[in-house]
Amino acid sequence: MSQLRKGALEYCVLALLRDGERYGFELVRALSQPDGLLVSEGTIYPLLSRLRRDELVSTSWQESESGPPRRYYRLTGAGKRALADFGEEWARFRDAVDALMTTPRS
Amino acid sequence: MTETEKEKAMDVGTDPLVDDYLRRLGSAASALPEHRRDELVSEIREHLQEALRQTPADDQAAVRNALERLGTPEEIAAAAVETEPHDQGDAVFERTNALAVASVVSAVLWLAGIGAVFALVFGYRAHRQIKDSAGAQAGAGLAVAGIVLGWIGVAVLVAGLVLIAVHPNKAH
Repeated sequence: MSQLRKGALEYCVLALLRDGERYGFELVRALSQPDGLLVSEGTIYPLLSRLRRDELVSTSWQESESGPPRRYYRLTGAGKRALADFGEEWARFRDAVDALMTTPRS
Repeated sequence: MTETEKEKAMDVGTDPLVDDYLRRLGSAASALPEHRRDELVSEIREHLQEALRQTPADDQAAVRNALERLGTPEEIAAAAVETEPHDQGDAVFERTNALAVASVVSAVLWLAGIGAVFALVFGYRAHRQIKDSAGAQAGAGLAVAGIVLGWIGVAVLVAGLVLIAVHPNKAH
């Protein structure tokens, strides 16, 4: 289960960036809102740095009006493609699993 | 990454709970390369700064809550070690760029002739590949050596041709 969650989580991060850039804390809080997606907030940061290393997201420091500068994340071209691919794959996967889970065995 | 870097954030920079948490994170993440560990610790520090931005400095319950939501330092460190490309912080294995070697070999084998041209072509290509590999390939020094030898070779070649042109008789 934790592997499944971990695998899907990185695409949830990419999905949150679909409509524009966000900073780390914003991403973490958005991911911790729905129940059952995130176990602990801190583990998102290693995930973010891996996405950066894989060049699925890029980052930039921006000033904030009320405090130290924030590191903003945005999707790269490769990130957009990875998200689109996963979207299709996920829909098929989910339907297949749902079908098996809900079909009564005879 | 030191405490002084974030001096302005009065709560987080001086809070003993946060301090202790970040210290534990640092030692739990000792398997990471140093720059990754520093980056991780400062990211978590920035997170806490955001989380506690609106809280009064003495609100220990809020600090505890924010730390609890983060998970244990050991948990975060384990996740970071897991996502490192070279597990457990092993020394990064660098492969020497083959074109860089080819460049030097060409230069040495036939310094005043076509080898110099190959040395330059290979050398510049190798140099770019090594730069693009962002640390995965070694041989930058070799590539530069190949380029330098290549230009020396070209210079010798040109000088030779000029000599032959000026003194056609002495060349034979």
